[in-house]
Amino acid sequence: MSESSTMQEGESHDLSDDADYAASQQQGSTSISQNGSGGRTVMNEADRAQVVYQKDNVTIHPTQYASERISGRLRLIKQGSSLFMTWIPYKATPSGNDLTRQNSNVRSAERDRNLYTIRPVPFTDVRSIRRHTPTLGWQYIIVVLSSGLAFPPLYFYNGGVREFLATLKEHAFLVRSADDANAFLVNDFQDPLQKSLSSLELPRAVSVANSPSTLVPASPSPFAESSGRTDRDSCDGSPSASLYSERSRQKVHDPAHDLSIQVLEKFSLLTKYARETTSQLLREIHGDNYGAFERKNEFQSLPSSVHDGRSNDIVKVPDEAPVASDPLETSALVKQKIPCKKQNHGEEAATKVGTFELVNCKEFDKLALVWGKPRQPPLGPEEWTTFLDSEGRVMDSKALKKRIFYGGIEHELRNEIWKFLLGYHKYDSTYAEREYLASIKKSEYETIKHQWQSISPAQAKRFTKFRERKGLIEKDVVRTDRSISFYDGDDNTNVALLHDILLTYSFYNFDLGYCQGMSDLLSPILYVMKDESESFWCFVALMERLGPNFNRDQNGMHSQLFALSKLVELLDSPLHNYFKQKDCLNYFFCFRWVLIQFKREFEYEKIMLLWEVLWTHYLSEHLHLYVCVAILKRYRKKIMGDQMDFDTVLKFINELSGHIDLDATLKDAEALCMCAGENGEACIPPGTPPSLPIEDTGSLYPQQDDD
Amino acid sequence: MATIGNNNLNAKLVLLGDMGAGKSSLVLRFVKGQFLEFQESTIGAAFFSQTLAVNDATVKFEIWDTAGQERYHSLAPMYYRGAAAAIIVYDITSMESFTRAKKWVQELQKQGNPNMVMALAGNKADLEDKRKVTAEEARTYAEENGLFFMETSAKTAINVNDIFYEIAKRLPRAQPAQNPAGMVLVDRPAERSRSAACCS
Repeated sequence: MSESSTMQEGESHDLSDDADYAASQQQGSTSISQNGSGGRTVMNEADRAQVVYQKDNVTIHPTQYASERISGRLRLIKQGSSLFMTWIPYKATPSGNDLTRQNSNVRSAERDRNLYTIRPVPFTDVRSIRRHTPTLGWQYIIVVLSSGLAFPPLYFYNGGVREFLATLKEHAFLVRSADDANAFLVNDFQDPLQKSLSSLELPRAVSVANSPSTLVPASPSPFAESSGRTDRDSCDGSPSASLYSERSRQKVHDPAHDLSIQVLEKFSLLTKYARETTSQLLREIHGDNYGAFERKNEFQSLPSSVHDGRSNDIVKVPDEAPVASDPLETSALVKQKIPCKKQNHGEEAATKVGTFELVNCKEFDKLALVWGKPRQPPLGPEEWTTFLDSEGRVMDSKALKKRIFYGGIEHELRNEIWKFLLGYHKYDSTYAEREYLASIKKSEYETIKHQWQSISPAQAKRFTKFRERKGLIEKDVVRTDRSISFYDGDDNTNVALLHDILLTYSFYNFDLGYCQGMSDLLSPILYVMKDESESFWCFVALMERLGPNFNRDQNGMHSQLFALSKLVELLDSPLHNYFKQKDCLNYFFCFRWVLIQFKREFEYEKIMLLWEVLWTHYLSEHLHLYVCVAILKRYRKKIMGDQMDFDTVLKFINELSGHIDLDATLKDAEALCMCAGENGEACIPPGTPPSLPIEDTGSLYPQQDDD
Repeated sequence: MATIGNNNLNAKLVLLGDMGAGKSSLVLRFVKGQFLEFQESTIGAAFFSQTLAVNDATVKFEIWDTAGQERYHSLAPMYYRGAAAAIIVYDITSMESFTRAKKWVQELQKQGNPNMVMALAGNKADLEDKRKVTAEEARTYAEENGLFFMETSAKTAINVNDIFYEIAKRLPRAQPAQNPAGMVLVDRPAERSRSAACCS
């Protein structure tokens, strides 16, 4: 016990930038918690490992002789945001075939067992996995490490390759090779920027970043730091828990984000090279023509941390660690009261594949660690002036958008800057031009407004459509954000303004008219602008993009929900499959999110922040869809674990309102957007709102009348 | 089929009607006992459930509350498909909303489940001084079209529980197995095991 803790401390200094540091860190801290005097109470939630996949009777064929085959148990173990794979051979059982053979054979089999045991190998060390599904015989996989070495084929006697890959996909970034449908690149990214990360094997750095003591080397004990993250892995999908974990995560890990991003930007040029190397490698292993001897030799030359002399110490602990998180196995181990020897597993024959838990997927936590920059404080007045030249032009609109994307805007500046973001003001306009425009637009607004104001009661009597529209708007404005002081109370003038602006808009865009949801979109704009005409024109600008959301044929909504389903398929295929199985692929449970840009999901201040972030179109015009994916992923465990159907998903999602952590969600959305890269954009048909309409042909909003 | 599981019935119920007629308010009154003067509009749809005890049985209503605006009409079939019951809501102070309610009735008669229990709710009954639709007119219409009719007030709670209770009583006891085509009402595992126990 003291041995292992000593080892752990030593390694935390010596190997802090070692690729296997994360693994050893896991081993060290777990061994302490397992053996500490406080017993299991010391167990650190943050470091708890979890078996996310387990398959029995996964077998290695060291030679052509059936008698020399070694069966064992394959596992995927998740700890923090790192994923490990182990394969532990079963103890040689007296009833086994090999006992009918000579003793020397038994001994050599024993040796082979040691030799072939796969101690926890982090997936950051894995480059690719190739699947073989021969029509005759067993399915098997070949795991290729970043070093270029490969483990011998693992034969799945009980099947389960597909499940293995599906589980892996949930927890690691897995991409099917473009060259070979059976090859999966791990930690490889389609997007050039992300690919460079892979080529640099930065994911290792990410794993290291997950270990608090790396970031704070002076920390006397890993527990001191980790205690702040206690909720991380116990996150049950309840809003409060995830909120907490997100906050603390951000606090602990910020430095790593910046580091990764910087390195990433610098080395993006390496991308192509990395891709070629990987493809070549895959071609090499393609066909699996290695002789057994060759494989064996390769395996023996694996890095020492995976396979070396001190393996006894290293192996027993991580092997045991995941068990601690598994209620069924914990009891077994407590009874045994020993660090299990690797051969013990023969005794636990029952497969647990059916019981593995749907893990609250943290794979994108990991992504967020790499990609999701820490949110910044909002843009304030002083900094804002630095974006402007002496005449008031925004000099670098891209930089401005980026700044707003990461931090939003201080409230007092919103009424000025939103006009740019919405496209009402041009970035290269001067103060004078904007002032002039405002006066022109004000009189233009008054002209349009006058169109309906001049309708006399007698004319209105003969103008059903007008009366209906007015009626719709009247019904909605009195129930829009009345809990906000700006809109509360009887005879509130701002409510009247909402009415006037919406009715004027329904004349300005008579084809589209008024539709439920528009008052939600206008409300924050008026709240920010305070001015009737300016609010109107900002709303007009917003509706240029969101107008199709309200088309009678719902095509704007359909195209977005369709794109959303494609994005989920790309970024979380298990969740996609789940929705498919539940006949939920229409994604109508996200209708409200998309229609009014999450207006009903957050408190007022947060909506304004979210909207200005979305309106930057900094990473994507469709960031809102990635926000949808991020929220769905955040609650995937709850959704799938509770076996929600369409109705319960809808109820659940409607009730999430007010419980979503915006900052964390934005970071996740950013990470997802970056990860999806071009593939993500390919999911979104051209012209999907809020993209501007592709072609400008006469009527923008061909609607049939509402009766 | 006849009696098994009839002590615990799941029934999908959909609320349809003009915007602002008070669909959401009726549901919230029934499910949560709440009333908001300025109940915000429903975007998309909302789902609620509430269980009622009727004689020796319980009925669990799975309630779909829909957006009222005509613009969103095309979404409605998704929600009323497979429904065992519908409440068509109008606002007694608005003749337009009553006209709209009749259109919903027609549509359900054409498209909906023929065994659907339909209720016509004349809501905002507390606003007597603004009444535009007489109870007689509505009742006559309801009788002619095989609906049952009640005037309700989500605000004062008058007849709100009653209308759901009345629907529960009228639901056919031998409710066919849940519509397999719809997105609705899949048996919960617990219920499945319970009915399995009944069968054996």
